[in-house]
Amino acid sequence: MIAFNRFKLENGLTVLHHFDSTTPMAVVNTLYNVGARDESEEKTGFAHLFEHLMFGGSVNIPDFDAPLQRAGGESNAFTSNDITNYYDVLPIQNIETALWLESDRMLSLAFTPKSLEVQRNVVIEEFKQRYLNQPYGDVWLELRPLAYKKHPYKWATIGKNIQHIEDATMDDVKAFFKAHYHPANAILCIAGNISLEETKRLVDKWYGDIPASLKPERILPKEPVQTEYRELTIERKVPHDAFYYSFKMPERKNFEYYVTDIISDALGREKSSRLYSKLKKELKLVTSINAYITGSLDEGLLIIDGKLSDGVSFEELDKALWPLLEDIKKELMTEAETSKLLNKIRTVKEFQEQGLLNRAMNLCLYELLGDANGVNEENTLYQSITAEQIKTVANQLFTKENTSLLRVKSIKE
Amino acid sequence: MNRRSQQPETKQVEHISFVKPHIFDVTPDVKLLWMKEVPNDTVRLDLFFDAGITRGNKSIPAIVHSLLLSGTNKHSSVEIHERIDALGGFLDTDISFETAVVSIYCLREHIREISNIVADAIQNLAFRETEVEDVLRSMRQQFAVNQQKVKYVAQQQFRKHLFASNPDYSTISEESDYEDGNVMAYKKYWKEHYLEGLTRITLVGDLEVDEVDALIDLFGKWAVDGKVEHAGGFQFRAERIDFPKEEAVQSAIRMGRFLFPKSHEDYIDFQMLNTILGDYFGSRLMSNIREDKGYTYGIGSGVMDMNKTGYFVIVTEVGKEVLENTLQEIKFELDRLQNELVPEDELDLVKNYTLGQLLKSADGPYAMLDMYNGVDMYGLTLEFYDEAIRKIKSITPERIRELAKQYLKFEDFLIITAG
Repeated sequence: MIAFNRFKLENGLTVLHHFDSTTPMAVVNTLYNVGARDESEEKTGFAHLFEHLMFGGSVNIPDFDAPLQRAGGESNAFTSNDITNYYDVLPIQNIETALWLESDRMLSLAFTPKSLEVQRNVVIEEFKQRYLNQPYGDVWLELRPLAYKKHPYKWATIGKNIQHIEDATMDDVKAFFKAHYHPANAILCIAGNISLEETKRLVDKWYGDIPASLKPERILPKEPVQTEYRELTIERKVPHDAFYYSFKMPERKNFEYYVTDIISDALGREKSSRLYSKLKKELKLVTSINAYITGSLDEGLLIIDGKLSDGVSFEELDKALWPLLEDIKKELMTEAETSKLLNKIRTVKEFQEQGLLNRAMNLCLYELLGDANGVNEENTLYQSITAEQIKTVANQLFTKENTSLLRVKSIKE
Repeated sequence: MNRRSQQPETKQVEHISFVKPHIFDVTPDVKLLWMKEVPNDTVRLDLFFDAGITRGNKSIPAIVHSLLLSGTNKHSSVEIHERIDALGGFLDTDISFETAVVSIYCLREHIREISNIVADAIQNLAFRETEVEDVLRSMRQQFAVNQQKVKYVAQQQFRKHLFASNPDYSTISEESDYEDGNVMAYKKYWKEHYLEGLTRITLVGDLEVDEVDALIDLFGKWAVDGKVEHAGGFQFRAERIDFPKEEAVQSAIRMGRFLFPKSHEDYIDFQMLNTILGDYFGSRLMSNIREDKGYTYGIGSGVMDMNKTGYFVIVTEVGKEVLENTLQEIKFELDRLQNELVPEDELDLVKNYTLGQLLKSADGPYAMLDMYNGVDMYGLTLEFYDEAIRKIKSITPERIRELAKQYLKFEDFLIITAG
């Protein structure tokens, strides 16, 4: 159970307070309700580029990191298709430094041309390091536009192509800040050995005078229901053939999201899972296989990916895979199997809740979904899942018309 | 004065409480370290073996490590994992230079049962033919994939050339290692390095003492006989070697040299020098090569601890066209540390930062156990950290410069590039 308090400032900032007297550290976590899905198709990769710029100095403070380090702390951030999340971890006695820094960059950035130029280059190197210079590194750049035709999930957070980052201008950057970086579009969590009263006093001191802006309205193109089987084969200089089956799944707020998560675990999370034991261990068709969900807030994907054993064709794998998906659609899962999956979820949850940073991030994420207390109800939701529900959802997921298959064909150098 | 341009008052970390785990002697040479005060139901058990990758050739240490839970005569690998999964347990295995580790993560009500399954799986490992084939097939594929990563190639070649004087340490994997399984050799290795190779056990979890005793009975039979010996006195040649890769868009760099073991009197002071150079976001390498030039997504430096020695390494991946510029800038930063005194405010910042990170590293039973283990493995005590705090607070710019002159000469480094 993660206890918390919630209050709101007049400018619209939502604040969560989580008290933990056992740690000498504090966490200041800020979630901005903006991700790659909020970009325009002509300017992709922007939310992520912007995350980099947030460390390039704010209106009153030339350097973000040095003062935090001087206070014994450190900071980082990540961008997804849905959100951008910033966190600071520092000794509790210096928590005010984090609030000073975070509030100033919520107020306004320095917007120096040098920072834009350098971070553009850094992001281009990141693009190369993660997507271009790794075997199989570019599959998500291919799979997303195959699975999504309208919804902005069709591009990756790094962007559709490097050109968009190269072309980013200062005006673009300023407009993005104005639209998305203000109190009403953020959720702040303060965690550590600090009272609610002190939290209120400090938050009010540093965030109270940040002007309010209107919460941007999010009108995203809705992804039409997929009605046809899609496949794409790309050739790459990689050592082995690889496959990526993706199936559209329900959005995060939906109960079926959790059921789908369990289905992916049953298929391919562990070394006792269905696909692993049948396709790798028994039939030896693959050398690796996994099933997982993308965890997206809007309609996401369940992915089955892996690599073929030498001499095995994509068709052979396809023929062996579908009967296993049919099984989960036809047969009710045994109690032994559901209880195995749910036990693992319970263990993961207990371990996750150990970390202060994890707790603060999860509180913010659940608040974004509607109620921070959702973090405490998640396990109960999972544990309530029945074999019938699993069967019903599997029938919605695993149809040919709901499938997008990407094949990576190995070609020799 | 605008209040927003002034940093709120900060206080340096004054005191860090280090907690010693309970220590049990499994044998005179093998200990169990136990952190009991855990505020929830989680448990982690780690078994350490004298079975690191330098303990054999032809990738045998890594292959046997991967085969550990591959089945007994009674139970297949899938069955073993099925039983552990049913209890909500997670297994994690890790192999490094001088150690191999098998870890169990679970809730406390299941630790006994999961431990029994793991003990049985390792004790009665059958090296089933199909399982051996499966593991070799997967490892061969992974090897092929790794060969395409400049980062991996640089890392392997760096190892090969840094440890050139000792074949156990310098021999890197080859594709043929995974071609035909030498089960006889695997069995011999498993007996010598696992069934007679346990070097320590660490445990975090709110258990009863008799449960801990039961774990000692269960795993203690694998305790290594006598003290484990490790190699030292490695020789290498300071040179630059390039491994070109036509289609790469980035080049990986690994460069470094030998230093000293953790017990050396310069160790802590050198860590401060290392932090300034490349071990935090505001470091000189990051500020120059990423934040000023934009050549890379990341660059860092670090000290790798080994039993008899340690080595220093700088790691990065940069745009192929800026490889030479990057090496020049690295040299520039190394020279600057040797020729100029670190400004007081930069040194103060690094002191505060390091103390804050130390405080974080001691936060909670899991972190604290790792911290304790991190000195005890090298024959040191918690006094190491108290001394570290004293040294961090008192180190001077002159001392930093002196260490840089002694240890950070560009021409003393082995430099490997790939890409």
